[in-house]
Parts: sequence; structure tokens; C-alpha cells
Amino acid sequence: MATDFWASSHYKRWIVDRGTLKESRSDDLQYVDDPEYLDFFAIFFANVITKLGKKLNFRQRVIATAIVFFRRFYIKNSYCETDPFIVIAACCYVAGKAEESPVHIKNMVAEARLFFSQQPYGVKYFPSDNSKLAEMEFYLVADLECDLTVFHPYRTLLSICKKESSNDLQTEAGEVGVGVDDGPRYWGSGDGQLELPDDAFQLAWSIVNDTYRSDLCLLYPPHLLAITALYLAVVLHGPTRELLQQQSHSVEATPVHSSPRRSSRQSSSTSLGHAKKPSQDFVAFFADLNISMPLVATIAQEIISLYTLWERYLEDSDLVDSARGTFYGHASAQTQSGGSHSGVSTPVESLDDAQKPHGATPTFLLQVLTRMRENKLSDMAHASSGRPVAVNKMLERTQAAG
Amino acid sequence: MHEEWSHTLLQSDPMRFYRAKRDRLHQAVTSKYTILGFISSGTYGRVYKAQSLEPDGQIHAIKKFKPDKEGDVVTYTGISQSAIREIALNREMSHENVVALKEVILEDKSIYMVFEYAEHDFLQVIHHYSQTLRIQIASQVLKSLIYQLLNGLVYLHSAHILHRDLKPANILITASGVVKIGDLGLARLIYQPLQPLFAGDKVVVTIWYRAPELLLGAKHYNKAVDCWAIGCVFAELASLRPIFKGDEAKLDSKKNVPFQRDQLLKIFEVLGTPTEKDWSGLKDMPEYQNMKRLDTYPNRLAEWCQTRIRSQQGYDLIRQLFAYDPDKRLTAKEALAHKWFQEDLRPTRNVFFPVSAHHLPPQRRITQDEAPSMMGMPAPTQAQTLSQVPLGHGQAQGQHLSQQSQLNLSQQSKPGSTASFGSVSGGAVGSFSGGQGGSARKKPRIG
Repeated sequence: MATDFWASSHYKRWIVDRGTLKESRSDDLQYVDDPEYLDFFAIFFANVITKLGKKLNFRQRVIATAIVFFRRFYIKNSYCETDPFIVIAACCYVAGKAEESPVHIKNMVAEARLFFSQQPYGVKYFPSDNSKLAEMEFYLVADLECDLTVFHPYRTLLSICKKESSNDLQTEAGEVGVGVDDGPRYWGSGDGQLELPDDAFQLAWSIVNDTYRSDLCLLYPPHLLAITALYLAVVLHGPTRELLQQQSHSVEATPVHSSPRRSSRQSSSTSLGHAKKPSQDFVAFFADLNISMPLVATIAQEIISLYTLWERYLEDSDLVDSARGTFYGHASAQTQSGGSHSGVSTPVESLDDAQKPHGATPTFLLQVLTRMRENKLSDMAHASSGRPVAVNKMLERTQAAG
Repeated sequence: MHEEWSHTLLQSDPMRFYRAKRDRLHQAVTSKYTILGFISSGTYGRVYKAQSLEPDGQIHAIKKFKPDKEGDVVTYTGISQSAIREIALNREMSHENVVALKEVILEDKSIYMVFEYAEHDFLQVIHHYSQTLRIQIASQVLKSLIYQLLNGLVYLHSAHILHRDLKPANILITASGVVKIGDLGLARLIYQPLQPLFAGDKVVVTIWYRAPELLLGAKHYNKAVDCWAIGCVFAELASLRPIFKGDEAKLDSKKNVPFQRDQLLKIFEVLGTPTEKDWSGLKDMPEYQNMKRLDTYPNRLAEWCQTRIRSQQGYDLIRQLFAYDPDKRLTAKEALAHKWFQEDLRPTRNVFFPVSAHHLPPQRRITQDEAPSMMGMPAPTQAQTLSQVPLGHGQAQGQHLSQQSQLNLSQQSKPGSTASFGSVSGGAVGSFSGGQGGSARKKPRIG
């Protein structure tokens, strides 16, 4: 089971297509002003879970499982009909148990209450009664169809790059199984290994962390996300990219370019500690994998659009384990991204008026959510009159578009 | 407009409509199954025999986890780690020799796990042979039972799952003679663990089946603990009584794990006192000094096997399953490839194939639930019939059953206060007789 992804509940029941995802948001789309806000929700709530998870001393994998539970829950439910904060607490509570890192329900309630009551959330109503969380756990587990074993890309990353627990990745050093013999790769792609410098590997790891800010974990098998993250890391990590370029240049036999590059590589490689090693042919490595490269390219596109969206999401630009910085540096050729991120404290109103908002802050998103939920509630309360009180935003948008 | 009240509702009961929707769509257990009777009870809850209301009318065993109570009020207190494990693992598994989970129903603060039904279990078969037939289990039947058991364990281990509670009561057999490993309540995934195994559960495996490395206080252990347990089950099937029937030393008030002197002695009496030649890691075991103070014994396993296993290859298999050094112990896969299974007579798919009809073990006994509040009462006519089943039979073996089923985590119980809930089977006929002690249900679970 742990080795057989293809026989897993994850593969059999929880990889969905875009159509299903769209369908699952149909109710929310009726209540949201701009569909894009729902994409911001995906980032926002993943951040909330990550931060709460850190408060609970969760490892990255536990946090990732909690986020997957959250996403799976919202395949079946809508934001406007639920309270995401209690759902988040339940997801963390169940993920802790499912990943053998249990948190006592009292601590869970206390941490969640304290954390959610702070800014920017200001949720004062989170129940102090343990049984409320336990009740939500019940509904959550039922909505998850009791499928509590989740596969993550981290394992593929580790097995492809053969990083042992001895490495210095401070964030996830303990994540590697100790003394556990590795089975064959469940997606059966031979046994080649990618030799990446540690910081390129760390970049791939951060990209994987970032994919949880979107629905990618519902759309694609984890090993494809891992390979895409590696692919992006190879392309985006400076020294590694240079290696890659060298390789392609040497194929074209253009010695003119290679000599200045080599010198630049030497200067950077001393710190990377792989100076002596003959460089690996990355292109050949990816080509040899038994997976669809066009699919990897598609996923890469989706990851890049996530970063594009995320750039307009204004919250803590100092997230440590994210690869955002790398992407802004390359994608939008900005040397400093700090300028655009200082708007965290911008009054929400300024975003909401005449000029179409280009970004979103947590406070703004919370207001959007509250409005959606209040409107949905009014509609349900007045359902008998048959006339919706709230305007169907989807209809409104369609009409506006003519 | 209406914002004030909706705002208030969002604050006071934010999930009201979600709950209403979910409750409306919920299909009740009793709308899907007819409860035929009660099978057994244990620390975690009760097991019922039930028939599906679907046209196929399949028989199932429904394990109902005991809801937590505060006084008389049933409240939600969070799903136990053990239930989460059992659910999470069972949802992923599919193997002929592992009990299949059909579905899980979460209803009214209780968890119902619906399993395929198994008519027999190893404990019941042992009891049937020792008490009713008073003969040994034919060696071909013995071989088939162990073969299928190993086959299931190879599957679990290849999926990186440790069972950690293999014992006769947890190993089931269907009416068609197929062995099914049950009760994954203590099982754990060991693939890339985020926590060391020791951190979660201080004590694992029922004492009689507990491997020497665990008894000597090892903090790190592996699949080999399951293989030791299989050796014990093998020996018990062959001799019809537990091979190492030691008394368990209980956790003290500070929940320190005590030195299991008696259990180790029982093992040494048969296998001899281990030496560093057998087991190079022996002197590093936390309880090594305690162990050195025990009397020493020579190895008498060959002698023990002579009358009981009656096959050189069979002896060789059990000897290797009882290797003291976990690293030298046979793995499930190696055991499955052992020559004993290739020797005539070979194992059969229906373990009862060579057994004449009048020697077959009886059907699992079901009774009227003694705690009807746990689930809807069976239909009145049924209840009447069931209540006439005499209970004396169960009492006779009460001692054996309750000893067997002392769940290793229930350290504070008195011996014999727990009935096995080990499995869907819960350990054979009438095992509920051991479960009447109220104390049995209040035991805290460690970890």
C-alpha cells in the first residue's frame, strides 16, 4: 500500500479533473464577486494551515496532508456554506493522527482558538468546547470517505535525488525513513538518480511546498508534481542552469560560449561542493523517465501561473520555505520584489473601490468570505419565497459581459 | 438588511447548514444492515453480525467503536488514534488473506466499520481441537493455516505495515477456509515514519506473542516482531496451547514498562538462554542486566517439536522464526518460501479441505446484545431464539480467552477482565463472557 500508489485510494478516488473542480465551486461562484478570489482563497487557506501547523510543531508532511484533506473537503462542499476555520482545525487534527503525530484535542482547540483570534483573522467565535471540533472531525472523516492515507511528492523527490537523512536540510532532515528499505518506485521509472546541488534540491522542495497553495494536489499524481518541481529547479537554479546551458552548448559545439561560463561556474561551485564531479546530463535524465514530458510541461505552466497569482496576494513576503523569490526574480525580471509587497497594511477599502483590485490581502479575502456566507445564508432562509435575496454573481457577470 | 441575524448565526453556529445538509443525506446503519446478533466485545467496542439489506444479502461483521461517555451523556471526544489507524490502513488494503473492510459509517457519535464476515478464527479452531475433538490438527491443515497467514503477512510487510498484534484471536478463517488477518488497530505504517515507533505505543503485542527484543526493552524494532508472533501461533496450533504462556508484569503507577521476567523465562525454558553468539546486539538491550540475573537454560526446541510438529522441515521453519536475533529471524517472505511448504502434503486453498465434515469447527456463536443501547435491538423473534443459547460454553474457556486477549495497551486492567475485541471475531464463541467487568471499558489507552 505504502508502495503501491496505483492501488491507493489517493489514485483511485482523489485525482480529479478540472471539470470536477469547477463543478465543486459552482455554488461559491454564485456568491463571489470575482472568481479569482476563489483562487486567492486557495493560497490564503493553505497559508493559514501552514502557520497553524507550525504552531503545532507539525512536520511539513503533516501540514501537506492537512492541506490535502482541506482541498478534498472542498471538492464536496462550498466555502459559502461552511466555516473554513473549523474545517482547518479539524483537518490539522485528523492529519496529525493520520501521520502518527497526534495532538491532543484540548491543545488543538487551544492553539486554533488563539491563532484564529489574532490578526488578520480575528475569528472570535471559534468554539472552546472540544466536542465541537470532535463533531467536525466526524463530518470531515466522512466527507473524506475515510481515505486518510495521502501520498506526497516529497518521497519522489528524495528517491530521485537519493538524499539521505544525513543531509543538512534543516527543515526536513527527519522526514527520511530511517532503516527502511525503499521499494521500487511506484511509477516505475527505472533507478536513475539526479545529482543536484543541495540548494537546487532545496529549491525543488520549496516548489513542492508551494504547489499546495493551489488545487494541483487534486489534479496530478504526486510523483509528477515532484518531477515538475525538479525540472523547474534545474531550470531556475542559477549554477545548475548554467550547467544545463553548457551541456546544450557543448552539443552544439560552440566553444566560444563555454569558456567564460566555466569560470563563472567555478566561482559558484566551490560553495556548492560539487566542483570535481562530472556534470550529469539533465536533459537525458528527464528524457529517460517513464512519464509524459508534455504533461510535466503543462504542470510547470500551472505552477508558474500559481506564482503569478501569488505575486498579487499580499501577505508575508518572508515565507521561509517557499520558492516565490526565485520565480519573481526570473518570471517578471524584478530585482526587488519588496516594493510591491509592502502593501500588506494597505486599507482594504482602497482595494475594493473604483479601480479593479489587482491583489488581495487576508483581511480583504475574509470580508469576501463573510459576505458570501451571509448572502448564502439569507438565500437559504428565504428559500421558500423562491426569490433570491442576494444577486447571483455568476449571472451578473455573464450579463455584464453581454 | 438581514445582515445582523445572519451575522449572529455565522458566529454562534457557523456549521449549522452544513450539518443539516450532511445529516439529511446520511444513510443510517440500520437502513443498510439488519443486525443479526452480537459477536463479542472488548476495549474498543463491540462486534455484531449483520446482513446487508442489498439484494445480495451478504453477511458482515460490524465493529462498532465504543462512543465516549461523560457520565451518561455520549459526547464527541475525537476519534482515537487506533481507530484512525485501522480505518486509514484498511481503506488502502486489498488482499485475499487480509480481512476486507467494506465501508465505514460515521453516525451518531459512533464509528461502524463493516468488514467481510469470517465464520472462524485460529483461537476457536485451537479450542475446537483441544476441547471437542481432542486430537491434533492434521499437519496439512496446520501447514495451510500457516501458509495463508504468512501470505497475508508478506502483503502487509511489503506495504510497510507492521501488524504488531498477531495472535490466534486476530487471525480469522472464512467458512470457505480462507485465512484472513484481522484487527489492524495496532498496526502501523513504517514507511518513512515521522515519529519513532516507540514514541506512540510503549508496549505492543500481547505478552505471549511478544518478541524477545521487545521484552528486553528495545526502542527500535521492525517487521521481525510479527514473524516471532507467527512462530508462536504456529507452535500453538501444533500443540493446542500457548507455547510461552508467561504472566505479564504490569506497568507501575508511573507507567514505566517493567521487566517481563516471567515471559522471558518461559521462552528460555524452550529456546535456551540467548547468548551473544546467537544475537550480537543482545548486550545492548536495555534489560540485558536484568536478563543476566535469570537462571540459564539449554535449548530444547528440537525435543519440543518432536511430538508436536513431526516434520524435520516444520521444525526448521519454527526454529528460524524463533531466531533470537531479529536480523537473523526469517522474514515473512523467506518463511513463505520455506521447504516445509513444498513438502507433501502441500497447503490447500481451503484450509479445511482435508477435514471431514463432522470435524469442522462450529459456526461462530452469536447472542443477543447485552447492551442493547449500543445498537438497535434485533427483531423480537430473533432475540428470543438467541437468548435461549446457553452461555456456559463460553465460561469454560473464559480463562484462556481473556488471557489471550489482554490487549497489551490495557495495562491497568486485572488479568482476565478483558474479552478480546482483537478482531472482528473477537476471539470465538462466547468470549463476551469475559467482558462484563465494567473496569475493562474504562481503561486508558497509552499513546
